[in-house]
Amino acid sequence: MNGIHDLGGMHGLGPIVVEKNEPVFHHAWERRVFGMFLPLAATGAFGVDELRHAIERMGAPAYLNTSYYEHWLFAYETLLVEKGVLTQSELTTRRQQIAQGPV
Amino acid sequence: MGENHTRPLSEIEIRVKALETLLIEKGLVDPAAVDALIDTYEHKVGPRNGAKVVARAWTDPAYKQRLLADGTKAILELGYSGIQGEDMVVVENTPEVHNVLVCTLCSCYPWPTLGLPPVWYKSAPYRSRVVIDPRGVLKEFGTEVADEVKVKVWDSTAELRYMVLPERPAGTEGWSEAQLAELVSRDAMIGVAKVAAPGK
Amino acid sequence: MAINLVQALGAALAGASSREAEGSAPRFKAGDEVVVLNINPSGHTRMPRYIRGKQGVIDRDHGIFVFPDTFASGTGKKPQHVYSVRFTARELWGPQGNPKDALLVDVWDDYMEPR
Repeated sequence: MNGIHDLGGMHGLGPIVVEKNEPVFHHAWERRVFGMFLPLAATGAFGVDELRHAIERMGAPAYLNTSYYEHWLFAYETLLVEKGVLTQSELTTRRQQIAQGPV
Repeated sequence: MGENHTRPLSEIEIRVKALETLLIEKGLVDPAAVDALIDTYEHKVGPRNGAKVVARAWTDPAYKQRLLADGTKAILELGYSGIQGEDMVVVENTPEVHNVLVCTLCSCYPWPTLGLPPVWYKSAPYRSRVVIDPRGVLKEFGTEVADEVKVKVWDSTAELRYMVLPERPAGTEGWSEAQLAELVSRDAMIGVAKVAAPGK
Repeated sequence: MAINLVQALGAALAGASSREAEGSAPRFKAGDEVVVLNINPSGHTRMPRYIRGKQGVIDRDHGIFVFPDTFASGTGKKPQHVYSVRFTARELWGPQGNPKDALLVDVWDDYMEPR
């Protein structure tokens, strides 16, 4: 697809920002997202080509305005719901429970 | 690490926790496996692996030949293999050619030898520009490439993963492999930097 | 169903190559001149826009790999050769390309035709 992910040769995307002594992960949640990739792939839920395509389908504004591990998270959620491993309502309900805090 | 447990969770933290807890309950993800993978790629796998490969190639001409002929196999000789490094190609910088790597379509990167990629490598500015203006990008990284040197940009659009074998700097004659490995930076193995001569 | 810690580390170390033992015969060899197809599929593809319709030279044959365009949509592996294809910066970028420079892009057999 002719998506925003296909970036080669575009102008106007801003300066290259290099972080000195960059850590491998910037947030604890990034670790969890990274660490779930291989276990999920091992269940046969999706392969790397499907993961990439799910990221490509996220839409240009979201793609440019979210970080790398948010792309992965979006792809997991999308593919797991599409394949019937989870339902959107399970995700929504669980998020609400977590947001309300421990009981 | 700097995460304050008393503050409310952010939206993204809630999404991640919701997903992970559901997957654990369904028996699809074992949190201990997640922990182990995080620990491996945060603490054990990284560009020091690649630096040892480079230092070996600088000191052992037969190894260098094997590395350039079959990167995967030669890298495995030093014990490095695995996901996102299954099919490795090593490209050599010379006085005539400077190589630099990118993945314009996503963020492919040789995990077993370089670890997980830095944010700038995955970012839209680097991926868009390095293919159309490699010399300009290299200059921003402080890397001057002489006009007569040919720049080759490798875009890893398929499942091959690349690594640059940088030039061995002058003034390192007689150095041990371990000393040489200390000089080799991640950026030199991506090709946005050269390996500086000692003392520079 | 979930893989445990030992299995996870084993899988990370083993990797999962998308290389295949058998596939369609290679249509190109190193040194061949090729033209990349000008196609605009709406599904997944690993053919970047900047090489579409451009002329290049086969630099090396990497062997046989799964074809992502079909595999991502669940319509088969369609294993075929992948090549490093060398494009001059001038071919891709016109006068903005440096005449000394080249791009090497990994391209599947199906994405190209002989020139």
